Amino acid sequence: MIQVEHLCRRYGELYAVRDVDFQVARGEVVGFLGPNGAGKTTTMRILAGSLGASEGRAMVGGHDVALQPRAVKRMLGYLPEHPPLYPTMTVTDYLAFAARIKGVAEVPAAVTRALGLTGLEGVAGRLLAHLSKGYQQRVGLAQALVHDPQVLVLDEPTSGLDPAQRKDIRDLIRELAAGDRTVILSTHVLPEVEQICQRVIIIAGGRIVAQDRIDALAGRRRAVRLQVAEPGPAAEAALCAVAGVLEVRAEADGVYELSAEGDPRAEVARAAAPFGLLELSGRERLEDAFLRLTGVQEPAEDPSRKVLA
Amino acid sequence: MNNSLTIARRELRHTFSTPIGWIALCAFLLITGFFFVLEVRWYAMESMDSAFNPMREPMDLGAHLVAPFFGEVSLLLLMICPALTMRSFAEDRRQRSLELLLTSPLSTTEIVLGKYLGALAFAGVLVLCTAHYPLLLLWIGRPDPGVILSSYLSLFLLVGAFLAVGLLASAMTESQVIALVVTLVALLGFWVLAAVGMIGDGPVTDAIADASLFSHAEKLGEGILRLRDLVYFASFVGVFLFATHQRVESLRWG
Repeated sequence: MIQVEHLCRRYGELYAVRDVDFQVARGEVVGFLGPNGAGKTTTMRILAGSLGASEGRAMVGGHDVALQPRAVKRMLGYLPEHPPLYPTMTVTDYLAFAARIKGVAEVPAAVTRALGLTGLEGVAGRLLAHLSKGYQQRVGLAQALVHDPQVLVLDEPTSGLDPAQRKDIRDLIRELAAGDRTVILSTHVLPEVEQICQRVIIIAGGRIVAQDRIDALAGRRRAVRLQVAEPGPAAEAALCAVAGVLEVRAEADGVYELSAEGDPRAEVARAAAPFGLLELSGRERLEDAFLRLTGVQEPAEDPSRKVLA
Repeated sequence: MNNSLTIARRELRHTFSTPIGWIALCAFLLITGFFFVLEVRWYAMESMDSAFNPMREPMDLGAHLVAPFFGEVSLLLLMICPALTMRSFAEDRRQRSLELLLTSPLSTTEIVLGKYLGALAFAGVLVLCTAHYPLLLLWIGRPDPGVILSSYLSLFLLVGAFLAVGLLASAMTESQVIALVVTLVALLGFWVLAAVGMIGDGPVTDAIADASLFSHAEKLGEGILRLRDLVYFASFVGVFLFATHQRVESLRWG
């Protein structure tokens, strides 16, 4: 559905994104992950057509973004980082305007549908300026949805919201993705990606540093937390000896935090048994993968940064 | 074109949903009313004088009342038009709503035309709100209807040119205040150019004056319809709208 090849965006000498390549299949939900300023927004704006690429090309549904912008924009809904709202309009008027300029044939029906999908029926007559941030974000989403696009590009859809609102929007995105829709969303909230996306593309310093299925990416590293009754150097040595364990950190009360490659939980349990294993839990560490992939890459490129860090 | 009209309609509604539209309308009506009363009083006194003075040429409603009145109205519009266009792009960029237009299936031409037509529609309402003054004159006297019609044509052309300048200024900056000031200064500059023509009579001063909007509008206001003036206005608006188009396009690529 989406093909991006050698995409570059230059500002003078500076590359905001460089040689970005990725593909997204129809119906896939892909998370765009990266620290601030990594080039997520730039890539998304190029896809949505509000920014031109310096080199390379992006195709959406078989249409080139630069050559057939109208065809692409008709099938793509875009929610920018700041929802593009007109504060002096009511929700209904705003959505009707958005529907008209997006070439929707049945405007009132499209508005009703978008209001229903985003749960905005209750505030349909209110002015956008008077809505809470969570509702404004929903209106932004409704705007992206009003022409029933096959592709949704959402730039940090949950940023600046409180936890309840964030959950609402997350549920909504999951609902929207349930059908045949292709969704790309960017975020720097990791649990969000784990909850919504099937695949993640990690971008740092304007380049893609990893792209894989979430389980595969996270599966490479795992955190194991355990508590033993008799901690000590002997226990620590035994844990260190387990194959796959990279790091052992001792905490108070006999709690150990291990960082491991693969899934060594069974071996860890066996090794810890002689010391009175009380508790053991393991979790996938997307965060580890993320920090490793984005953190290592940057200082290597720019030695001056290392000193500051 | 349909898309442009959709944008224009939204712009027009927006102008009427904010105080600035209504303030502009009220101020415009008040001040034009004031000008009209002054002009009529002056005309009454002068025509009385000329009636008793056989040396003077007879007064003419068209040349001595309609033309100067519309000249004053055009100056007033010079002040108001920058306030009508200052928002168009500057506000859209600032509140990031331009992103909605840029990512919708619209061409840049449609966006620019839509914004322009929206401002033009409101300014058109302002200009048409002066219609009762010439109607009053037609009721009490016998002014030349041709002069009145060509005065309106010159007003519309001037307003169209003012708005095109304002639109470009608004696309250049995110600050409405800067857009307002730049437009005002540019338009006053054109006005000064016309004044240069009155200082001297050489080919240089003539050429400078010819570059000004107001010299071309003046001839029209006197009831003289010349193709060159119409061509001048059409190309003036065309150049500024094209520059605005390029500027908006550069927001995508720059």
